[in-house]
Amino acid sequence: MENNTELVIKGLKKSFGGNKVLNGIDFKLSEGERVVVLGPSGSGKSTFLRCINWMEEPTAGEMYFNGELVYEKNIRRIRRNIGMVFQHFNLINNLTVMENLVLAPVKLRVMKRVEAEKKARDLLKHIGLISKADAFPASLSGGQKQRVAIVRALMLDPEVILFDEPTSALDPESIGDVLSLIREVANRGMTLMIVTHEMSFAKEIATRIVFVDKGRIVEEGVPKDFFEHPKTPRVKEFLEKVL
Amino acid sequence: MDSFFSKIVELFSTPEYIDSLLHGFLLTLQVSYFAILIGVILGTVIALIDVAKPSKWLTVPKFICQVYVGVIRGTPMALQLFIMFFIIFAVKGFPSIIIAIIAFGLNSAAYTAEVIRGGILSVDKGQTEAGLALGLSQRTIFFKIVAPQAVKNIIPALGNEIITVIKETAIVSMVGMYDLNMAAKDIGSGQNMASYIVPMFTAAIFYLVTIYLISFVVKRIEKSLRKSDLRTEE
Repeated sequence: MENNTELVIKGLKKSFGGNKVLNGIDFKLSEGERVVVLGPSGSGKSTFLRCINWMEEPTAGEMYFNGELVYEKNIRRIRRNIGMVFQHFNLINNLTVMENLVLAPVKLRVMKRVEAEKKARDLLKHIGLISKADAFPASLSGGQKQRVAIVRALMLDPEVILFDEPTSALDPESIGDVLSLIREVANRGMTLMIVTHEMSFAKEIATRIVFVDKGRIVEEGVPKDFFEHPKTPRVKEFLEKVL
Repeated sequence: MDSFFSKIVELFSTPEYIDSLLHGFLLTLQVSYFAILIGVILGTVIALIDVAKPSKWLTVPKFICQVYVGVIRGTPMALQLFIMFFIIFAVKGFPSIIIAIIAFGLNSAAYTAEVIRGGILSVDKGQTEAGLALGLSQRTIFFKIVAPQAVKNIIPALGNEIITVIKETAIVSMVGMYDLNMAAKDIGSGQNMASYIVPMFTAAIFYLVTIYLISFVVKRIEKSLRKSDLRTEE
């Protein structure tokens, strides 16, 4: 099976002031892949993910999305095709659940309001939160917020969804709900990139594991090899601590 | 005690005194109203320039705004009023009410700008990021996401600023303007009632009631804006 390459990153660097977080990352992502990014805290894995849709503007390097060079003039259009799910959900507090879902599709003229609302209702029904359609985010639990956030990313039918530690701010009980929704999205063939600390979930869902340390990709491979036969001492050391 | 009550009767049964009080009160309200209007408009402009993303077009405006806010907040209101009256508008016949409105308006703008700036900056960065990640424009993000949340943070402090302006306008009596404060002093003086207590307490009640009404309205607005914060459904 020959898959299209969606994303190519060459020599990505990012520093905040004098603090170098990413030191040259080369990376490719193909359609249908599910890449889990692992690494110790402070390794730059979240920054790596956030550079992909320019939540952080890269300091150096090149990025191609479907063959098109990404830069500040086209990033807004490209972002429509890259969904993002944040650690702290980032549902828009002054909008109801329904408005959170339909805002972007309607504003970006991807859908008419009626269509968007129908799609939103279907998705909300599917995740069992249709009763919350007119509620404000403050009245939802963390797990409910994150599931709405995932659905919000799905509203625009993105080609890739980035998950930045989607379960790190959740209580153990709602982690399961959020993971099963991600699993479902994955099973539909969505291309995913996930930064997470959930090792067993990483092992289960990933088609490829990327290990980042000190702003570089140290090792990558299929989960079985990565977890059972790590090649580098750094990964061995990491796995001994977390498993 | 008898004389106290007779003074009350005297104040409220002398049409000239009532007239003076109402005239003073009207001037206080006029100066406050227009000053607050200027303050909110100019303050919003200053705040928006200040929080806007730095660019080469904005370097000079940003600098001017910072100096402006610094100078206004760093000098006494009374001195600013004097400078307006005796230096900048030292033109014979220029209506003093206009000078006072400008002086208080320019002063209030600096404080209002800080209130609005703080309100905008206190909106969680994640809210903007959510909009960016969805591909929304800066404009949509500001008007649909940031501004509505900022307003909630701004209203209580803005209410405070309005109250401050109303009370501070009392210093126009220092440049000879006949506001509520001045009216109380005038009515109580030797040529008139020869007793300050009743007119001054009356003026105090005028101020108190006005400010109470404003706080009441601000609280109501706050409450209606807080709808989306409630942890229960509508």
